[in-house]
Amino acid sequence: MSLLVVATYPVSGGPVLSGPVHSDAGVLYVGGSPVPASQGTSAMLGAALAVSDYLGTPAPYALIAGDIGRGDGTRAVYARLADVAAEVCPSVVAFHYMQPVMALMRQAVCDLGETFPDALLVADAGGMYAAKAAGVAGRFELMTPDVGEVGFLADPEATHPAYVSHYLFGTEGFDPPGLVRLAAQSDGSARVLLVKGKTDHISLLGDIVGTVDAPDVPALEAIGGTGDTITGLAAGFMAAGFPTVDAAMCASRANRHAGHAMVATPAMRAADLVAVLPDVFSEYLCGWSGVCPVCP
Amino acid sequence: MLFKRSKKREVPGDALGIFLFDEVSSAIRAEKVLMAEECEVALVAPPHHLRAGCDLAVSVARVEYVGAARVLADAGVVVREWVDDAEGTAEVCDLVTTEDFGEWLMIRSGNMKITVRRENGVIVNTSGGGCPDIPYLNIELVGKTIWEAPRPKELGYTLCGLMLDRAFCEARELLGGESR
Repeated sequence: MSLLVVATYPVSGGPVLSGPVHSDAGVLYVGGSPVPASQGTSAMLGAALAVSDYLGTPAPYALIAGDIGRGDGTRAVYARLADVAAEVCPSVVAFHYMQPVMALMRQAVCDLGETFPDALLVADAGGMYAAKAAGVAGRFELMTPDVGEVGFLADPEATHPAYVSHYLFGTEGFDPPGLVRLAAQSDGSARVLLVKGKTDHISLLGDIVGTVDAPDVPALEAIGGTGDTITGLAAGFMAAGFPTVDAAMCASRANRHAGHAMVATPAMRAADLVAVLPDVFSEYLCGWSGVCPVCP
Repeated sequence: MLFKRSKKREVPGDALGIFLFDEVSSAIRAEKVLMAEECEVALVAPPHHLRAGCDLAVSVARVEYVGAARVLADAGVVVREWVDDAEGTAEVCDLVTTEDFGEWLMIRSGNMKITVRRENGVIVNTSGGGCPDIPYLNIELVGKTIWEAPRPKELGYTLCGLMLDRAFCEARELLGGESR
């Protein structure tokens, strides 16, 4: 069981990096090269690594390239995806911060479907935007939209959250169950959604199957990367063999408890959250999931 | 929580055409160049069949096409195509909300958020979004004040960057930045 993360990192012209993820003295490395700490991919990878470190499962494997929004790194990782996937034989493939290019995503999903038909696909951020806009959302196992993004999944005309209709936007009257249902009906949704918000909603095929609202840590919304850590946690749990809905529930709970444990303020970093995850797992994960590396 | 929508211009849809670009940053630059020439423009989503993913177009009154195209060419803005019909375009989401965190104020524009310290305007966080310039903008902006930091749309390349720019401008307005 292994997790392959396909994404970019925020360095202009940064080379393609691929390899297992590890951390040393708070710095994240991919294939031996350091990755800048920021919201986005490093937050996601940090959380996924915390899961594998705790459960003793294989470390996540990353395929990333430098991209600050021009799409060059995104194109570079798509070009390498088939070769790297053949090397890793992933059970879970997560697409994260990438330029949302519909044609490239469509081709990648098609190719992965032929070579690794059993791999579970996860998408967040630009990977999710591309998958939905390209009409291949239904091929995905899990997506992790936030309040502003679930309306995008539900809007069949939108190809980017910037174009979401006002009535679908996550403000007053926000209706996650209704939006999740709309998204499923219009083929804009993965099989499972984890909608991040004041209350997190987990849905399966358009129906809400679980909610998580405690502990309530409002400051997390302001901290860049704390949505990325949820995605990393969920993908990490899936790669460890958790059923997807259970993985989403555990990810939501772990993220909130980590926010509570770090006494989150809007001025903190996603790395602060990642740092307390081992303690959160140690205290709660066995009770949530029945999975415990130290229990008999 | 505050809700705000920008004023819409009063140009009939059937009198507009659109410039298409290969990069969002080109559309943003085109808007800036054309507005400097007092040309009435708007950033819009291209019609569905002309979209590739992260797209942004500039709508202009059809009667102004020739002059606008010359302005863009003189400024070195590369236009992919002119479409003589704006039917099927969509407005960029213009809903802005705020969240009060006491010492800090979070401003949300579309899928993007920026959080600033009230007393000094220091950007303490940016969050949301999914395009690759967003982590880059986070690194470039956090720690600077909203008056000294460059505007996100001067640094970014994508629609997420554009939405962050709107939140950034709203933060300046709310904290009285223009007068500082």
